[in-house]
Amino acid sequence: MEHSKIGIDWNGRTHSYRPKADWRDRIDKRLRLHTGAADDLDPVTFEVLRQKLWTINIAHGDTITRISGSPLLASLDFNMSILTEDAEVVLNAPYVQFLNAGAPLGIRYIMETYSGGPGIDEGDIYVCNDPWIGACHQMDVLFAAPIFVDGQLFGWVANAGHQYDLGGVVPGGWPQNAEDVYYDPIVLPPFKMVEKGELRRDLEALYLRQSRMPDLVALDLRAQIAGVTFARDQIIALTRRYGMDTVKAAMRRMLDQAQESFRQKLAKLPDGTWSEVRYLDEALPGDRTTQRTQLNVTKRGDRITVDNIGTDAQTPGTNGIPFTSWSGSITGIISISMLYQQLFAYGGSERQIDYQPTPGLLTCVDHPTAVSGGIMQVIPMMNVIQAVLSRMMACDPELRADLLAPCSDYMLPVLIGYDDRGNYFGQAILDAFGGGSGARSFGDGIDSSGPSYSPLSMILNVELIEQWYPLLFLYRKEDADSGGAGQWRGGGGVRSAITPYRAQSMTVVTNTSGQCVSAQNSPGLFGGLPSPAGHYLVRYGTDLPAWMRDGRVPAGIEDLAAERTEPLRAKSNGAPLGNGDVMEIRVGGGGGYGDPLDREPARVARDVALGYATRQAASSVYGVALTAAGQPDVAQTAALRETLRNARAAWRPTGIPDDSAPVAATGAPPRLVHATIASVDRDGERILACDRCGHRYCGHGGNYKAAALMEESPVTAIPSAADPAFYVDEKLVLRQFCCPGCHVQVCTEVAKADEPVEAEMRLS
Amino acid sequence: MALGEHAVRFIVGVDIGGTFTDCVALRVAEDGAAPVVKIGKSSSTPPDFQTGFIGALRTAAEMHGVALDEMLANAQVYHGCTVGTNALVEHKTARVGYLASRGHVDSIFIMKAGGRLKWMPADYIAHVAKQTKPEPLVPKALCEGIDERVAFDGNIVVPLNEERAWAAIRRLVDQGVEAIAISLLWSTANDAHERRLRDLVKEIAPDLFVSISSEVSPRVGEYERSIATIVNALIGPPMRHYLEALEVDLKQHGYTRSLQIMSCAGGLIDADHAREIPVLTVGSGPVAGLIGAASLAQAGIGGSRSAITADIGGTTLDIGTIFDGKPVRRPTGSYGQYEYFVPTLDVRSVGAGGGSIIRTEGGLLKVGPHSAGARPGPVCFGRGGREPTVTDAAAVLGYFDPAYFFGGRITLDVEAAAAALARVGAPLGLDARQTAAAALRIIDSQMADSIWLTLTQQGHDPRDFALYGFGGGGGLHAAAIARELGVGSVVVPMSNLAAGWSAFGIAASDALVTEQSAIGLASPFDPEELNRRWPVLEARVKAKLVQQGVPAEAIELRRFAELRYALQINEVAVPAEGGQYDTRSVDRLVATFEREYERLYGKGSGYAAAGFTLTGLQVHGSARLSELQLGAVIHQSPAGGDGAAKAPRDVTWYGHGDKPASTAVYAGARLGAGASVAGPAIIEFPDTTVVVPHDCAARIDPTGSVVINLPALA
Repeated sequence: MEHSKIGIDWNGRTHSYRPKADWRDRIDKRLRLHTGAADDLDPVTFEVLRQKLWTINIAHGDTITRISGSPLLASLDFNMSILTEDAEVVLNAPYVQFLNAGAPLGIRYIMETYSGGPGIDEGDIYVCNDPWIGACHQMDVLFAAPIFVDGQLFGWVANAGHQYDLGGVVPGGWPQNAEDVYYDPIVLPPFKMVEKGELRRDLEALYLRQSRMPDLVALDLRAQIAGVTFARDQIIALTRRYGMDTVKAAMRRMLDQAQESFRQKLAKLPDGTWSEVRYLDEALPGDRTTQRTQLNVTKRGDRITVDNIGTDAQTPGTNGIPFTSWSGSITGIISISMLYQQLFAYGGSERQIDYQPTPGLLTCVDHPTAVSGGIMQVIPMMNVIQAVLSRMMACDPELRADLLAPCSDYMLPVLIGYDDRGNYFGQAILDAFGGGSGARSFGDGIDSSGPSYSPLSMILNVELIEQWYPLLFLYRKEDADSGGAGQWRGGGGVRSAITPYRAQSMTVVTNTSGQCVSAQNSPGLFGGLPSPAGHYLVRYGTDLPAWMRDGRVPAGIEDLAAERTEPLRAKSNGAPLGNGDVMEIRVGGGGGYGDPLDREPARVARDVALGYATRQAASSVYGVALTAAGQPDVAQTAALRETLRNARAAWRPTGIPDDSAPVAATGAPPRLVHATIASVDRDGERILACDRCGHRYCGHGGNYKAAALMEESPVTAIPSAADPAFYVDEKLVLRQFCCPGCHVQVCTEVAKADEPVEAEMRLS
Repeated sequence: MALGEHAVRFIVGVDIGGTFTDCVALRVAEDGAAPVVKIGKSSSTPPDFQTGFIGALRTAAEMHGVALDEMLANAQVYHGCTVGTNALVEHKTARVGYLASRGHVDSIFIMKAGGRLKWMPADYIAHVAKQTKPEPLVPKALCEGIDERVAFDGNIVVPLNEERAWAAIRRLVDQGVEAIAISLLWSTANDAHERRLRDLVKEIAPDLFVSISSEVSPRVGEYERSIATIVNALIGPPMRHYLEALEVDLKQHGYTRSLQIMSCAGGLIDADHAREIPVLTVGSGPVAGLIGAASLAQAGIGGSRSAITADIGGTTLDIGTIFDGKPVRRPTGSYGQYEYFVPTLDVRSVGAGGGSIIRTEGGLLKVGPHSAGARPGPVCFGRGGREPTVTDAAAVLGYFDPAYFFGGRITLDVEAAAAALARVGAPLGLDARQTAAAALRIIDSQMADSIWLTLTQQGHDPRDFALYGFGGGGGLHAAAIARELGVGSVVVPMSNLAAGWSAFGIAASDALVTEQSAIGLASPFDPEELNRRWPVLEARVKAKLVQQGVPAEAIELRRFAELRYALQINEVAVPAEGGQYDTRSVDRLVATFEREYERLYGKGSGYAAAGFTLTGLQVHGSARLSELQLGAVIHQSPAGGDGAAKAPRDVTWYGHGDKPASTAVYAGARLGAGASVAGPAIIEFPDTTVVVPHDCAARIDPTGSVVINLPALA
């Protein structure tokens, strides 16, 4: 292969660090690893220990939030883990899923690089924020403590948490204008912050000196140290009580169970390759281009191989993520989608995964690319793996119940300025945590659910925000048509509008992931529509003051008269907001599932009645006609749906020939490999055919999208979507695909108009 | 003997549970003799709970040998009332209309996004594809946005548009609402608009039940405040209906005093107060036991003024904490995924109890969190339960006398339980007894882990505490849990009167009224602001207590201030001194906060350089209502200890091999105060069974509580 992985030196300098097969051989022999494990662990003791390890890990997190008292860490912007002596993740926690992905990498790096000197000793704590070694970006700093029992390295505990500030050209550490890593916050390869129980005051000073807010970073430093210390001591106590070998056996069995559970689930699925393309806008603020990423998952037997072939090369700017974040996004979504019974103990699943990233591409960037602001792009990458896994899971009747269309992407407006008492403020508005989740195979997504990849993330009370920053929330309301339409629709997002109140000055900085202000939030599955993009829409010089004087509150900013209206770009630095200016943040919903024309009309009527869908979408997308009273009109709906379905007959063939080699009939029963497409025997051949009308798409290994009828429309065909041309010069289109036989919609995608139709699934 | 001649009085506590209504009636003699205790029981009678209430009273009166009317004429009645909780659980609540600031109605639907999952069990959080949001508490059609706006500083930035508000209220009334909840942004800083809206509602529909958030729960945070206000409105009408019917019935039977109701804040409020703010009664059930335990802990029973309470029922373990004699409090309660502001004792429920189901999953034995509940219940109850539960395991191991469970009211089918356990254990190669022993070990360990996590989260080390175990399973699990936690002393309180334990707690409670005021002061705090606010809160507290029937001079007022470091979020409520404030008293308040913060969160964990924020003031007013001191209740052992030993029984003790061993069994009611029992042993009471493990010594203390001392762990 042209991008052969042979010869790539994954050493943590130019390319990301990845342990080689023989990494253990480089561990200094004086470091005694505890590798024993009782072979007679009974299932009851195992269950007892599993519960105790889980409890210790949760208490580790509580210790961090309690001691730090930091609003950042209280918003659960951290994660914590227990690991084996060789840094396999035994337990993770229900917080931001990818966030501690650096722990197994960073710890292995420490073991093979530093075990000979400065050494790994009892009471040590290593710290690292190097994204090419053991962090997702520089702001999420890893703290890792070895657990020594009787002079042997028994295991590790680690946490990674977000910091207020660690330097770099923009306060807060998300420079969107970073052309390379030297604009970013400081990069710190692993160093021993605590040595044999003593905090190294020289290194603490060096660390804090990098920050604009050293005192607060010092508090969080102590909290993170207290967290690993507490968890380490609890695990030592556990080994004293149950014996090292018994506790270790329990840890290994947790790993084995996660592996086995994942392995069994994979084994149920057909072999093949699933791919997903997503675009990331505006590498640097003002760029009018979008960049392409691609994720490919090839499943053979009970293993998967993951690569990023098809992804654009890294460029200056902040669309790149390192290997840590890329692999963390994959395990994080596997954890919530396929290993939920393991309660975030996903570690063993990685034994079934072969990562084959090509370095130097946007999803596995090399040093010295900027990465700190790129953390926003981990979210679309998690949504990509969510889409891919969901399509795979649709191939098994049991796993289908756990699939989930992706949730909304992420928008992070930061407000900076002074209030009228002269106090400085500079903090992000986290309303994007109010986004909707994706549709499921059996039901709608959840409206304003919060992110699937971080189940506990919350939006703050308006009163709390108004107490801290000089602004008024005019509203925060559920949003119509913001979930992707489908037989099951995506959960809707929210719209929030703010205006300065008692502010001396206020400017807005925007940070945005994927294309979630230009083209879409999240893709739909199996013919469900993508959820529309959100926006930061500013209406300058409105008549709001007059409204307020008159005892009126606008229901939406469109009700106001304004001097001018302007959306902010995905990445922007410092749009000022003055009195009477209003900014609306539209936070997206999740993707839809299945053909919208298959949605029960009564559900559409209910959505319209409750404000989750507009009448216009009901008729144009769902083909549901409503009476004046809001009830579905049965006859008119049937007619309207007939018309819409028939119109699809005029969609054109893609013109891409079926290039798959014929597969002989297997004699196996028909099997759904999609919501409406099955793998079946016909005329001595195994083929992909419509489960509704029997239409033959293609051979078993073919690309059903290529064999479908296709329509290319402007992205604005998605209800309530805006025109991406405002943000991006490249032409983006909505492609819809339907069965040439019965015209059921089987696929939708937002794509660059000049890119070919790619397969989303290829069975082997 | 007629009442009155001997000046006898009765203290009556009534606790309505899902199945039974329990009544503890103490006859107090003025000559200082110990009170005589009787426990009346009656089936609960939903939806007309007052019928079961009167039934339980009648039984207790009969046991005292007096007529119901005679007892009531000389009684003070204290009541633990689950009517509001039941109405919520069974969705038999009022049709509520909701008024919120325009633009912010949806806060109750958004539910803080993932914040709604904060108190959900881990397996629910992990299975993202199966998560959901609960049905809205108020349908969207009954929500109205009101044109008005108050800012954080209390300024009215949009005046209340009365014309449009009138029309909105009219629409709700026309849709037949039975109650209206009003929650506007920043009503904590300025409640004028909420009050005006309430007046408008009263003009339009004078009989509607109306709740306003600035009265129900004045804390900053619109979501939790709105939910509190809505929950209050949902249960307002059914509560009003119930209390009125109950008062009529009590009056008919000669009761003339006020009816005192248990609140989740850990004290008694009068029926009028409960009618107005019924949300205070939600979750009051588990609080009574905690108050009772606090009363005993203050008397030093168990050897510590700090205690963990483990109330182990059929479906849940309710964990409470008493630190230095005082129950730990928290500012929020939850109802499913809804979290709301309410001053409450911190009681955390975990899905673990006698009904927890034992099953295998992926080659592992799992216990709970799902429960067989009361129906179908454990297999051994013979009510159709097929999945084995913790109670079945305990029965198979020999902890219970099959003929004397619940004092013989239920006969246990141990064979059926064993068969079910054998079925579950078979894939793991375990027989019935091994499965049972394994399940007990797992559930004991899980309960201990949950308690450990709770204490850790509160900043405590469980080893400094005694453990109080009560509820149906308290005596069964407490010593094992204590051993897991490294706790040295276990109390199974007043075991011979176990059925009346909650009712005891209620009757032993003080009157307690709390008033709070949200505030957002930055340091240095202006003492005059405090001097303006304290008297207002104190006057409100006093007025309510006086209305409750407490003499003004008996009221004890305590002030608390809630503070945090300006740049950190942990709020701590600390005691605040009385009297006028000046800059020195403000400095002392800050010093108290810093000390308490350091105790809770560790040395050096506060960032004082950025200053402090005062977020709220509270005044608690309390007064003794009954003369009942639980520590003074004397254990009645009719047989004076004779004949306490019953025939030994074969019991399997996990951790001591899987063969049953002949074990001493005692009739607890016959063990006199001071009697001691060496483990391993089983002590049986009519309503509970106390397990005394190996190497432990149990004694009966003067109150009839079983106190078990555990040997220190090596």
